[in-house]
Amino acid sequence: MGRRVNVIGVGMVKFAKPGASEEYNVMASKAARQALADAGVPYGEVEQAYAGYVYGDSTCGQRAVYEVGLTGIPVFNVNNNCSTGSSALMLAKQAIEGGVAECVIAIGFEQMEKGALQAKWTDRTNPLDKHVGVMNDAQGVNQAPFAAQMFGGAGREYRWRYGTKKETFGKIAWKARQHANRNPYALFSDTLTLDEIMAAPEVFDPLTRYQCCPPTCGAAAAVLCSEEFARRHGIANPVYIAGQAMTTDYASSFGDSMMKMVGYDMSKTAADKVYAQAGIGPKDVQVVELHDCFTANELITYEALGLCGEGEAEKFIDEGNNSFGGRFVVNPSGGLLSKGHPLGATGLAQCTELVWQLRGMGDKRQVPDARVALQHNLGLGGACVVTMYRRD
Amino acid sequence: MADELRFDGRVAIVTGAGNGLGRSHALLLARRGAKVVINDLGGSHTGGGKSSAAADAVVEEIRAGGGEAVANYDSVEDGAAIVKSAIDAFGRVDIVVNNAGILRDVSFQKMTADDWDLVYRVHVLGAYRVTAAAWPHLREQKYGRVVFTSSAAGIYGNFGQANYSMAKLGLVGFASTLALEGKKNNVVVNTIAPIAGSRMTETVLPKDLLDSLKPEFVSPLVAWLCHEGNTDTGGLFEVGGGFMGKLRWERTAGTTFRLGRGFGPEQVKARWGEITDFAKSERPASVTESMAPIMANVEAGPSKGGNDFIDVDAALGYQFPEYTSRYDERDLALYALGVGASREPLDRTDLHYTYELDEGFQALPTYAVVPVVNGILDMGRRGETAPGLNFGLDRILHGEQYTELLRPLPAKQKLTHRARVKAIYDKGKGAVVVNETKSYDEDGELLAINEVTTFVRGAGGWGGDRGPSADVNVPPDRAPDAVLEDKTSDSQALLYRLSGDWNPLHADPGFAGAFGYAKPILHGLCSFGYAGRHVLKAFTDGDASRFKSIKARFADTVFPGETLVTEMWKESETRVVFRCKVKERDKVVISNAAVELYTEVPQKKSKAVSAAPAKAEAAAPAATGKITSGLVFEAIGAYLTKNPDVASKVGTVFQFKLNEPASQWTLDLKLNKVAKGETAVPECTLELSDADFMAMTEGKANPMKLFTTGKLKISGNVMASQKLDFLTKIDRKAMEAAAAGVVASAAPAAAAAPAAAEAPKAEAKAPAVFKALAERLAANPALGAELGAVVQFNVTGPDGQWVIDGATVTPGRNAAAAAFVTLSDDDLAALAAGEAEAKSLFMHGKLRVDGDVRVAHRLGVLKNA
Repeated sequence: MGRRVNVIGVGMVKFAKPGASEEYNVMASKAARQALADAGVPYGEVEQAYAGYVYGDSTCGQRAVYEVGLTGIPVFNVNNNCSTGSSALMLAKQAIEGGVAECVIAIGFEQMEKGALQAKWTDRTNPLDKHVGVMNDAQGVNQAPFAAQMFGGAGREYRWRYGTKKETFGKIAWKARQHANRNPYALFSDTLTLDEIMAAPEVFDPLTRYQCCPPTCGAAAAVLCSEEFARRHGIANPVYIAGQAMTTDYASSFGDSMMKMVGYDMSKTAADKVYAQAGIGPKDVQVVELHDCFTANELITYEALGLCGEGEAEKFIDEGNNSFGGRFVVNPSGGLLSKGHPLGATGLAQCTELVWQLRGMGDKRQVPDARVALQHNLGLGGACVVTMYRRD
Repeated sequence: MADELRFDGRVAIVTGAGNGLGRSHALLLARRGAKVVINDLGGSHTGGGKSSAAADAVVEEIRAGGGEAVANYDSVEDGAAIVKSAIDAFGRVDIVVNNAGILRDVSFQKMTADDWDLVYRVHVLGAYRVTAAAWPHLREQKYGRVVFTSSAAGIYGNFGQANYSMAKLGLVGFASTLALEGKKNNVVVNTIAPIAGSRMTETVLPKDLLDSLKPEFVSPLVAWLCHEGNTDTGGLFEVGGGFMGKLRWERTAGTTFRLGRGFGPEQVKARWGEITDFAKSERPASVTESMAPIMANVEAGPSKGGNDFIDVDAALGYQFPEYTSRYDERDLALYALGVGASREPLDRTDLHYTYELDEGFQALPTYAVVPVVNGILDMGRRGETAPGLNFGLDRILHGEQYTELLRPLPAKQKLTHRARVKAIYDKGKGAVVVNETKSYDEDGELLAINEVTTFVRGAGGWGGDRGPSADVNVPPDRAPDAVLEDKTSDSQALLYRLSGDWNPLHADPGFAGAFGYAKPILHGLCSFGYAGRHVLKAFTDGDASRFKSIKARFADTVFPGETLVTEMWKESETRVVFRCKVKERDKVVISNAAVELYTEVPQKKSKAVSAAPAKAEAAAPAATGKITSGLVFEAIGAYLTKNPDVASKVGTVFQFKLNEPASQWTLDLKLNKVAKGETAVPECTLELSDADFMAMTEGKANPMKLFTTGKLKISGNVMASQKLDFLTKIDRKAMEAAAAGVVASAAPAAAAAPAAAEAPKAEAKAPAVFKALAERLAANPALGAELGAVVQFNVTGPDGQWVIDGATVTPGRNAAAAAFVTLSDDDLAALAAGEAEAKSLFMHGKLRVDGDVRVAHRLGVLKNA
């Protein structure tokens, strides 16, 4: 193990619909300035920057960072699909941990187009071809957005296995809106009734419209530093990273299981590694930001992260163990479903929410007595980053 | 001790090492393995005399302990000679501890020039000479550790030590820059401000305190700063009596005067609190950080000016927090009534604004200003305003209004408003503030733009931008092309205010009286609505969808009950200039006004986009009408014969299943042949419509896109389909030529296809399946128990419903069933015949289950035994 890494500053902009946001560089620099102000550290102290985004030409990271300052520091552009934000975070953390730098910033941003995700480069091998092949064998391909087909298919497989009711998936969307209603940074803050969710147009059985995260524009950032740096700057009792792991696809992703194709084993293994690093387990966690791109993924991930036993997700949800008053608060921010999912920003927005939670700055959505927080960020193609944060 | 910090192989120079701190540093370094040059002039602590005794004694002590040391008796002013001693004796120098010093304490008025110079020469010039001589060695070997000795007297001042304070703080600045310059070559430079009992302090401090302030309590810090393990550089440390700590600079957050607005001592006095308050502070650690607030202010550029009412720098460009509003048909109708629509029950002219069931119901376009003004008033009521705008609502007049619609207002909508301070003008006595609000619809598409121009009485005069002054929209010098008039009702203002403008000036006679009006006045925006409606009535026949924008200046007050006359001049197809008068007083109340019209009604963007592909799709078959897929396959065959390397590169057997009209083709790139019909061993099967296939071969459709949009179904080796791009290279001309020759033979085939498509569907299979199931259940009730729950089947194409409850199978529905299974007649038959598997159908979305899915696990009971 290397040095302990602290998260001393976080910031994000309010997420917006495509077309209604500011440009990526404006959003990203706002988030970065906010994170620096939060940390109380001038940009001149930052030695490296890791910038995550999926859509955009090369070196958007520099363009964004240049609005904060022109100090000539190394800037790395990171692209890892929906887990881009936490991939940038992980590189930043490694730089501190390994003693390469004392203070670095990770920035994630995305300026998305309207409509569902699509392949941008159709003249070359699609990186998801193997995943699509698994889906094609398991359930064929139809006109629904491909991500909805993949995660919806995982939901079908789970239902087939455990007899889960469709409404159980809907309850996750209901909870997401309840939480987002208390989060001023969320895209969708109106609450919905379970009836409204279930009566909405079906995107891909069992998912209705409100169970799919929307294309979103936004940005978030985090400033990381070493213990010594924190001490030197008089930063007392910061939030720190107690464990972090990234996994990519295993052979099991390309078998005959939709749940595994969308990353169940990646999530499970990454979580197990983090628990081993931190020396504490899911029972010690109070608050979780979980990659709920679709309700189906939140449901199967409860089990992958060990928040409940296999096959127990429905009971877990029905007993309210995923919200305030239950065993965990999962996605107090409203999650990807309601807060929105700007691909590159999501991992750092999750980080921002959890750092706020651990500092007791969760406002109306503060999880009582939050000391240990877990973050799960997943990208198809694939990469899964699980991070545990603590504050003593 | 395994981790003892050692200095083996290092050579150190310690100046003033004959006594006190210098001696203690030298002894510690020597004990830890350093070879030490013991420099001491052997003079008194006030700089008099010279002797070798002090240095020799220390050298002796070191040698006695088994260490290595040489003595040097030069003055630090002769620094080069001291460094030479080190090189001569030990061949190198790694560590320089500048410690030598003297005192000439005397109060300032009694201090001689000699006192000043001597202290400077020993402390500053001496430290410079020694360090300067050592510096090239340190740089070259890329290793060095330098310590300077400062003092609390220098940092904080001390009575009677003006000369000494000057010298000691001089060293801090000297060291700070050396630290920066040495960084690249691993030369670490630090400064200590020690306190210890020595010859220099024994005259100042009491004896018992001196005894506990041993030099030995300072030397460990010096040793660590000189050790290779320490890379912290540029620091200043206070040390003594067992305490050690680091110092840094702290600066108040301070205050900033924007450049260009002028500030004098009065302003400095006024802001003295801010300048000196450490409650908010920063700790600059470099010149760059020191300069940061200065540069920020310079970069911000000159101030745009302002006064107590308006700070242009703070206000201009300010983005207000986003807010939302909703309206529906009722709000539109109420507004239309408020601006005088439908006064006559038998007049249908305006009914489409006021009656939502009217066939052509439309929003009156000027309504778009209502939610915006309501938003501004709400902010005012909450006391919120843009930063830098420090005036009350009592000071402002709505001067001008511009409202633009990017397309007609829908009958109901949720709007999101984003407002900013667009412009601020200094009109001399008064000022003008322009609020621009953009209103977006539920899909985030821009729907309306409003510019509310307010005149702020008495707030101008800072010498700023006066803004545009030319009169716009001046009526031409001819009779109006149209004149319409409407008498407002006595309660018009009370009716209009129900749309949201709550200002009591329009309702409360007492309040209006206080402002000098005989009675409550009509809203300017109410007259504005009248005028807009008049223009539409006169030039678009009341069709609100052609409305683009309206601009108006509010020139005078209107009282409820007065008659509004709108005079209009048509300047072009898209522009009507107008003005409004009060008939009774012949006063212009709205001037410099115009309405712009669209010639073509703009549509919502998202709708236009979705319409486009539909058109393209329809066009596709027409363009390829002459060439059939059969001809394409024929041409592919010819192409492959000519280009055999294509087949050897791809090497896959493709099966094409085209539909609408249906046909099947085998493209065998192993045997390099094309044949009509199915093959037994396809490696990759592609199912798509004939039209999409044609589009694909023409290069108009991308296979991957067809695939991801579900128009192309691929089974088998999915990725092999990516090797089909050669299809776009098939010679179209040859095909067209061939097509001309086969029109006659193709026609009957084309005619046959729709006939096949319209052929009546085979009879429903479900009744037979359920009949057989009923018989089996009757014969074997245990089979029913296997299902274990009441299951409702919804069969589609042709439709039918059945309920299985225990051993009974009945047509119809049961709302209380545990599971509802929906599937097609064909799939049901396939399940019963054992040709399909329930899980696969479920995963493919062909078998849907509401309720308990696990019931579907047991659909094997449907299987005919």
